[in-house]
Amino acid sequence: MMLKYKLLWGGLFYKKLRLVLSIIGIIIGVSSLLLMNAFGEAAKIRTLKEIETFGPEVLMVVAGNVRVSAGRAIQTEVTTTLKPEDAEALRKIGGIRFISPYFTGDAIVRFAGNTVSTVLNGVNEEYLRLRKFSLEEGRNFLKDEILSYKKVVILGNKVKAQLFGKENPVGQTILINKLPFKVIGVLSPIGIDASNADQDDQVLIPYTIAISAIYNVDYIRGIFISVEDPSNLPFIEKQIDSILSKRHKVTEKNKDFTIVKAEDILQAKTQTTNLFSSLVKSISVLCLVVGALGVTAIMTLAVNERKKEIGIRKAIGAKERDILLQFLIESVIVTLLGGIMGVVLGVGLTLILLPVFNYPLIFPVIPILTSTGLTIIFGIFAGVYPSYKASKVDPIVLLRSF
Amino acid sequence: MGDKIVILEDIQKIYQIGKVSYQVLKGIDLEVEQGEFLVIMGTSGSGKTTLLNIIGLLDKPTSGRYFLEGEEVSKFDSKKLAYIRNRKLGFIFQAFHLVPWATALENVLLPLLYRPEGFSKDDEKRAISLLERLGLGERIHAKPKELSGGQQQRVAIARALITNPKLLLADEPTGNLDSASSKEVMNIFKELNAEGLTIIMVTHDPEIAKNGKRIKVIADGIFVDEKQV
Ligand SMILES: Nc1ncnc2c1ncn2[C@@H]1O[C@H](COP(=O)(O)OP(=O)(O)OP(=O)(O)O)[C@@H](O)[C@H]1O
Ligand SMILES: [Mg+2]
Repeated sequence: MMLKYKLLWGGLFYKKLRLVLSIIGIIIGVSSLLLMNAFGEAAKIRTLKEIETFGPEVLMVVAGNVRVSAGRAIQTEVTTTLKPEDAEALRKIGGIRFISPYFTGDAIVRFAGNTVSTVLNGVNEEYLRLRKFSLEEGRNFLKDEILSYKKVVILGNKVKAQLFGKENPVGQTILINKLPFKVIGVLSPIGIDASNADQDDQVLIPYTIAISAIYNVDYIRGIFISVEDPSNLPFIEKQIDSILSKRHKVTEKNKDFTIVKAEDILQAKTQTTNLFSSLVKSISVLCLVVGALGVTAIMTLAVNERKKEIGIRKAIGAKERDILLQFLIESVIVTLLGGIMGVVLGVGLTLILLPVFNYPLIFPVIPILTSTGLTIIFGIFAGVYPSYKASKVDPIVLLRSF
Repeated sequence: MGDKIVILEDIQKIYQIGKVSYQVLKGIDLEVEQGEFLVIMGTSGSGKTTLLNIIGLLDKPTSGRYFLEGEEVSKFDSKKLAYIRNRKLGFIFQAFHLVPWATALENVLLPLLYRPEGFSKDDEKRAISLLERLGLGERIHAKPKELSGGQQQRVAIARALITNPKLLLADEPTGNLDSASSKEVMNIFKELNAEGLTIIMVTHDPEIAKNGKRIKVIADGIFVDEKQV
């Protein structure tokens, strides 16, 4: 049985350099295709994770005009008209689950000689549940602590690690912009959310103390709202809009707030990732096409070089179909060899590069299947022309040339 | 017609090169009996190879009829011709034309690749005993480039014989060989012919031609002379 395959394709391994050359193109094509697909998959998974922390039931009122760009809500001007009282006024809308005023700024945080510059977020006791953040240690704010301007703080996971290492910080006192705050809790690791903010690099304090004692203002930057039922969102959005417009005495034209939904952020984000991934996909398919063309070119060369062999086969009884099939399968073997090596290389690169670029680590099953499938298809296409040429070789070349 | 293996009737071959047409065979009539050893001689360019190509079903005549074992093969399609080449014909070339990457044994077995029944252990034994008979018992696993010209031609003969052909066609089989090797190959041919194999051999060497039983001379596309040896 082996003898049959040896006699059919023994010629494939006769000229090794030629074989290696045609395989290299395929390796590059397949591994890049696989890598790009794997990154696409990982990006999808990451986005899904992000939506978990900024879910479809969450919306945000932001002071001033906001542009959503590359998945990030960018405040285009500072507005001072959004007040904590606005947040209270929104509570009367039916179907709202949680509301938290929100003020954000930079802060310098210190403990026992360690200094960290991080993001300070002033919120209320509902914020953690609203964002679905869980605590690794300690407890949430109490409503009373918010109302009575208590200097208490919940640390983001990274900040905790930077200030305290492995020690338990609960009960310790840290300095935030030189004011002493008592640590009451530590957030579990969260990662980067839909707004591209690293939620592990922050400290949370009551918004009351944040605006009064730390930043000394009377306004807030935004209001986080979550609703009971996401399908009610458009209706609730309308009510928020009318209540705030009335309170601020503004019209559509000079509105001083913007409502941002997870959906808006997601849309902008998937648009950019889709653009990105279709770009890389076309590039890697192009690589594969070039690889396949390389196989075609080198197979055509091989056919010219092996005219004598083809002539012999025909003279001793090979039909055109036999020769066609032999060379078609030969080019599929070449592309598959390259394909297998490309998959191995691609998987290796994926497993190395995903963590490097902060993507969740996945084993790229679907990318492996698609790139293997594409390789076989391209292999067949690459072989069609040279195989056709091979099948048409005239056996009288044997008697003519020596 | 029963014992005539080859019958050619008024075979013509015209090559068209651009606007110029060039008639290489100008009406060849030929009958070859079962068991003959026919030699075709002629000067360079007289049309010997062209004629042998047509007899070997590698090329088609422009006009004329060709019967092989009573079948009019000049009417067959390429698939059927491939079948006949595989079952009935054996070829020996001046330049041996062995497959370079295959061993002597593999080269001998190659024609069986194109039979639906495939290889059996028996075929392999038969190939080895053929090579042994031709004095290559020690070299069955050698590649062509490790063999001398005479040895390569003997591998080619074994390859032609593995299918038990009815007709052996040889175009200048000794053209690339020294006189000792030529003699060996001719002795093999005579032996095979004595066993009943029909042979048609092309040569322009009169010494070699003497090995045949009948010699036909072709000049400018037409037979001009015939003699029994
Ligand atoms: N494919 C072709 N196209 C055009 N002319 C051809 C072709 N093949 C052969 N010829 C011409 O036909 C003539 C006969 O060629 P052929 O090869 O049959 O001669 P030959 O008797 O075998 O000669 P040699 O002893 O040199 O092998 C030559 O003049 C050759 O140039
Ligand atoms: Mg010739």
